[in-house]
Amino acid sequence: MSYMGLIYSYSDKENLRELTSTRALAALSIGGKYRIIDFVLSNFVNSGIFEVSVIARTNYHSLIEHLGSGAEWDMSRKRGGLRVLTPFANKEATDSAHIYRGTIDALSNHLHSIKKSMADFVVLTGSRILYTMDYRSMIRAHQDTDADVTVAYTNHMNGTCRVPQGSPMIRMDEHKQIREVEIVDEEQEERECSWCIGVCVIRKTLLESLIADAMSHQRYDLYTDILQKLSPALKIYGYEYSGHLLEISTISTYMEANKAMLDPEFSAKVFQKTVYTKVKDSVPARYGPECYVENSMIADGCQIMGTVINSVVSRGVHIDKGAIVKDSIIMQDTEIMDHARVEHAILDKDVIIRDGREVIGHPSYPIVLPKMSIV
Amino acid sequence: MSFIKKKDMIAMLLAGGQGSRLGVLTKDVAKPAVPFGGKYRIIDFPLSNCINSDIDTIGVLTQYQPMELNAYIGNGQPWDLDRMYGGARILPPYVRGKEGEWYKGTANAIYQNIPFIEQYSPNYVIILSGDHVYKMNYRWMLDQHMKKDADCTIAVIEVPMEEASRFGVMNTNENLRITEFEEKPAIPKSNLASMGVYIFNWPTLKEYLIRDEEDPESSKDFGKNVIPAMLNDNKRLYAYKYLGYWKDVGTIESLWEANMDLLKEKVSLELYDPRWKIYARNGNLPPQYIGRQARMRESHVSEGCSIEGTVENSIIFPNVTIKKGAVVRHSVVMSSTTVEENAEVHYAIIAEGVTVGAKAEIGENPEKDVIPAISVVADRVNISCGTRIDAGTVVDRDL
Repeated sequence: MSYMGLIYSYSDKENLRELTSTRALAALSIGGKYRIIDFVLSNFVNSGIFEVSVIARTNYHSLIEHLGSGAEWDMSRKRGGLRVLTPFANKEATDSAHIYRGTIDALSNHLHSIKKSMADFVVLTGSRILYTMDYRSMIRAHQDTDADVTVAYTNHMNGTCRVPQGSPMIRMDEHKQIREVEIVDEEQEERECSWCIGVCVIRKTLLESLIADAMSHQRYDLYTDILQKLSPALKIYGYEYSGHLLEISTISTYMEANKAMLDPEFSAKVFQKTVYTKVKDSVPARYGPECYVENSMIADGCQIMGTVINSVVSRGVHIDKGAIVKDSIIMQDTEIMDHARVEHAILDKDVIIRDGREVIGHPSYPIVLPKMSIV
Repeated sequence: MSFIKKKDMIAMLLAGGQGSRLGVLTKDVAKPAVPFGGKYRIIDFPLSNCINSDIDTIGVLTQYQPMELNAYIGNGQPWDLDRMYGGARILPPYVRGKEGEWYKGTANAIYQNIPFIEQYSPNYVIILSGDHVYKMNYRWMLDQHMKKDADCTIAVIEVPMEEASRFGVMNTNENLRITEFEEKPAIPKSNLASMGVYIFNWPTLKEYLIRDEEDPESSKDFGKNVIPAMLNDNKRLYAYKYLGYWKDVGTIESLWEANMDLLKEKVSLELYDPRWKIYARNGNLPPQYIGRQARMRESHVSEGCSIEGTVENSIIFPNVTIKKGAVVRHSVVMSSTTVEENAEVHYAIIAEGVTVGAKAEIGENPEKDVIPAISVVADRVNISCGTRIDAGTVVDRDL
């Protein structure tokens, strides 16, 4: 048996404002030195799956630049390896978000490439909800139940009952066969239910025929048009995931996900298996004579001369003397100069905060400064 | 069909040095594999210098304890040395005919690899050693070599006159032409010390290597035999003056010092230069976590570390854990070591995978400005709770 991975590098269910206006969701920085795609790809690497296609939609420049040949994920291979599937020009698309009419349309767009693969099974995953899973056990469950489709679900979000907006909720029978799929796109209250984390396993030939069939009926969405509509006809089973989750849908969940990694216990789970990323060959982080650092994650290549508290700091960031950074996410190569103050903020790449400037957001509404802003 | 392309200049990197003066630190690894500067090994410097100088074919000659070095270099990918033509090649001594033969000296090591070099039919060969920490553009040296129409160019660095007798010393005329070479002279005539970096015209070097091999009296060494023989024949040997930072990290003190040099406000070895990166094999570790009670002062800390204690004037390698109340001062702590709660480490080099038990004390915290003898803890040693280790002690077994 052989397997291939398919990754959606974007999501229609995210609202990350400026952070994803110039890059694919999967290319967004997270956890100091990583990008979202690193967590997604590392699941495949750690499951022994070395044939993975990444479906790109718009603004995939930074995604492609990050992935390169895939060598850093051990995916620069003759057999299989990493491929980025960029969209074909589509005359009907009125704006970039409609390049694909839905998740099935995206697959249909790349059907040729999917068909060419020699894999027997496909593992499909999104990039909006991050988890650590060995797909081999999910595939085993898929084969044991002789299912047509197996969908990973969970009953809780790191111990809470929150259901991410737009995540399909499912009801199963006692054999875990899915009987009902409910998709609510509005803001949800906390409720006790099982919801999909965005991963499914399916035989490749079946996926190909389901795509062809859905397309001929102008049905474009994987969850509503296949899982929901076909749950009576197909054998769709649930596979429980009970580990940690990181949700990156909104600015506040993004902030939360980064801050969750500051908890040593939580981050031990996240990094239990190696998470691979592009190597930058930066020097070790350097701490100055008057710095103060508390409860923060600091990546290589940083120079910390000022104060950093409860923050996640990416590679190559300079925090100069007297500067204060609190409860913030600072992305790559940003510089915060002498005596500047940054609180409850997300500073994108290459931002400069000049001497003494203040960038102060509110815990409930962090300020986001786009790439290359200068304050 | 040829699988080899001609190269203008290739490098031969002598990486078989035992580094015996580093004691327990080179018990299981060759000197070039000794960790340095928070995430590097010594060999990263010559390898990175090569790739930054556009030299993409490097024969790495190993002999002493090569296993870790072989694994570290691998296919050369971290240094961009995984090439279709050329790249990094590990060259261990091997068996010819019935008998195996070790590398008998630096010149003999190159002699034994004449077939490797001939594959690329280079015009020039640069001989490097894997024992020094420095950043150098070998192309600039080649430029001078060509301009002077030299047969051999030797990189030299000015050392204080009183230290010159520890080195191979070049006496030159005003055009930098070498008139005399003295190995560790009692009374040096010049303070230009050889850095162990040589550029040769390959046809000339080949001739001298063959001749030297045939001489039963020769100790098959570049400094002792090949260079003097060339001088004797009135070949054109020139010195190339190198002005940057260069350190032979051959002793515990110099290794500790070179690490501490990185922490100085005015760094002599600039590792931040994006145009001259020092590449190293990467461990894929998460960023470091600095805890709620950590105190950081003038230190370099690498990926995967978890710091809850105090770190001052120290170099901390990847994946080190420093727990609450622990204090690490003026020390070098290598990968995957744990310093337990309330332990203290002063003026020490702690090798990889060590556990310093709770409340243990290593070295002493002296009155200001006195540097005590450096303590060393060998790799994978466990130091149990409350153990007291005096300054300057070398610990090579569990205590």
